[in-house]
Amino acid sequence: MSKHETDPAKLPALGRMFLWTGNKSSVDRLVYGIYGVCALLFLADFFYEKHVYLAIEEVPGFYALYGFFMCAALVVCARFMRIFLKRDEDYYAPYDVESEDYPEDQLDKATHDG
Amino acid sequence: MVDIIPTAFLFFLAAMVAPFVPVVLRSVLLVALPILAGFQIWYLPEGMLLQVGFFGFELELMRVDPMARIFGLVFSLAAFLGNLYAWHVRDTVQQVAALLYAGSAIGAVFAGDLITLFFYWEGTAIASVFLIWARRTEGAYHTGIRYLVVQIGSGVILIAGAALFYRETGSIAFENMTLGSLATWLIFLSFGIKCAFPLMHNWLQDAYPAATVTGTVILSAFTTKLAVYALARGFAGTEILIYIGAIMTLFPIFYAVIENDLRRVLAYSLNNQLGFMVVGIGIGTELALNGTVAHAFAHILYKALLFMSVGAVLFRTGTAKGSELGGLYRTMPLTMIFCVIGAASISAFPLFSGFVTKSLILSASAKEHYYYIWAILLFASAGVFHHSGIKIPYFAFFAHDSGLRPKEAPPHMLIAMGIASFFCIAVGVYPQPLYALLPYEVEYISYTTTHVITQMQLLMFSALAFTVLMRTGIYPPELRSVNLDSDWSYRWLLPRMIRKIATVVAAIWNGILSFLTQRLKNIIAGLYHSHGPEGRMASTWPTGAMVIWISVLLGATLIVSFFG
Repeated sequence: MSKHETDPAKLPALGRMFLWTGNKSSVDRLVYGIYGVCALLFLADFFYEKHVYLAIEEVPGFYALYGFFMCAALVVCARFMRIFLKRDEDYYAPYDVESEDYPEDQLDKATHDG
Repeated sequence: MVDIIPTAFLFFLAAMVAPFVPVVLRSVLLVALPILAGFQIWYLPEGMLLQVGFFGFELELMRVDPMARIFGLVFSLAAFLGNLYAWHVRDTVQQVAALLYAGSAIGAVFAGDLITLFFYWEGTAIASVFLIWARRTEGAYHTGIRYLVVQIGSGVILIAGAALFYRETGSIAFENMTLGSLATWLIFLSFGIKCAFPLMHNWLQDAYPAATVTGTVILSAFTTKLAVYALARGFAGTEILIYIGAIMTLFPIFYAVIENDLRRVLAYSLNNQLGFMVVGIGIGTELALNGTVAHAFAHILYKALLFMSVGAVLFRTGTAKGSELGGLYRTMPLTMIFCVIGAASISAFPLFSGFVTKSLILSASAKEHYYYIWAILLFASAGVFHHSGIKIPYFAFFAHDSGLRPKEAPPHMLIAMGIASFFCIAVGVYPQPLYALLPYEVEYISYTTTHVITQMQLLMFSALAFTVLMRTGIYPPELRSVNLDSDWSYRWLLPRMIRKIATVVAAIWNGILSFLTQRLKNIIAGLYHSHGPEGRMASTWPTGAMVIWISVLLGATLIVSFFG
């Protein structure tokens, strides 16, 4: 974080409220929070009457496990696909915008402090 | 004579006067007109309101029914939001194009026959390409040409299908059709191209990120949802759509995970969302079609919102690439919050719009016993949270600190995003008004304990997967790159194949040509050698040879006239 330190006082008030997300220990707490919420949601399946169409939905934690493992598989597959699909940014140049800069005159670049 | 002006004509009229209106008033006109159009659509009575004769055909310019009305309304709303977002734009080309584009899309929605549909269909193609060309770079020019070829091609196929359809049935009415004849297949194909069916999809991911900051927002609303409308109108209950749709929900999410340009990530997720709608059309029950229409409504708004937030980042920093961004929450917190609202909506979090619309389609697929399709849609729902819901806000606004400290988006952009956010949440919290607009009666309750808990499980465990993969470093980092997709076949392979073939053909042609010229040269040289001034024949030519030849000619003439 130190690389781009900005005086917090100069940030918009709303932006200051989120500064904790740059703080390692807060992020750790957030991650533990996610673990906790996930555990609770998993357990919740045992405490209400499920009204579902399909037999597989009856399995406790079906949605949780399906979401987790399918997403993990998605990312692993996508990462694997990258081996074959990834090319340099100027692969299609000059017939592609990917390697071009966005025309400055159509932008309004400005920094927060002026 | 005419007691009703077609809504599309309002836009065309505005497009005609817009260039002559002073700059500030023009922005007002652009924002006010969609509101006016929305009111008109709201108060239109149902029925066939306007017929026009055209070369012996009766064209239906205004077919108003619940399905057309809701699409007309959401298109007006999208035009309003897009133009408000583009308040700062002073480029007449883009402003006129936006009006013509929105007008054409709305016109197409109310078209009651295939010829009217064709005109507006091509209208959307031609008007929209200017939103890409308006970037005014070489890459954008070429991308625009590619886009135009595909879009115009779709229209040409549509009119061919319509002509055959007329010959077959003697009718040009745009009603529900059954796939079978060449005519209906052509019309189906034409809709499919615009709807970005698998392998015909790549114009979308190619073109949308190439448009201007504001152009992409406007592009995202109309073309593909017009195609969804056309499919719902023309091919509801066509089973093949279920499988096409399922594939559409599936493959773009893999690309979205590894794509670096965040606007292209959104284009992939747009493609994935279209898949849900196409599945709904394929199932074709009242529940499913309601789901498709409702999801299209919600989708237009949250997709525009996401494109707006990423567009605002591009507007302030000059890039929309994940590899270059990060940590922008510090100075663009409002844009970040709006982006998160869009992300929550597309991911179908309870209390956000996707939750009350997507579930209609999923329920319909389970009810009609398409279990594998249901499982695919469920996977795609989790996947869309992964790449749109988490990836977009995370890599733009959080992740590693890029050091960029851009100013917050300008007020008009924030207002546009705020209004879009309001609708995303309003629909999610209180879906009844939206349900009331749907083509069929809705007897669906989204907020049941089971639905809320199972959906939260799906989403939170997807988030858990993201967290775990991020922390273990398995999640693929954002890298400056392009990924090969089906467009590789016509952007890389085809030109090279043509070049190869051209080289071979040219070599053969040149070989034949040089062989022939060589022969000709040899003959000339030979003749010159024998008959030229220095030639052997010339040296023996008597001066009187001419006299002999003349007498031979005269003799021949005599013989001919004697026998003739």
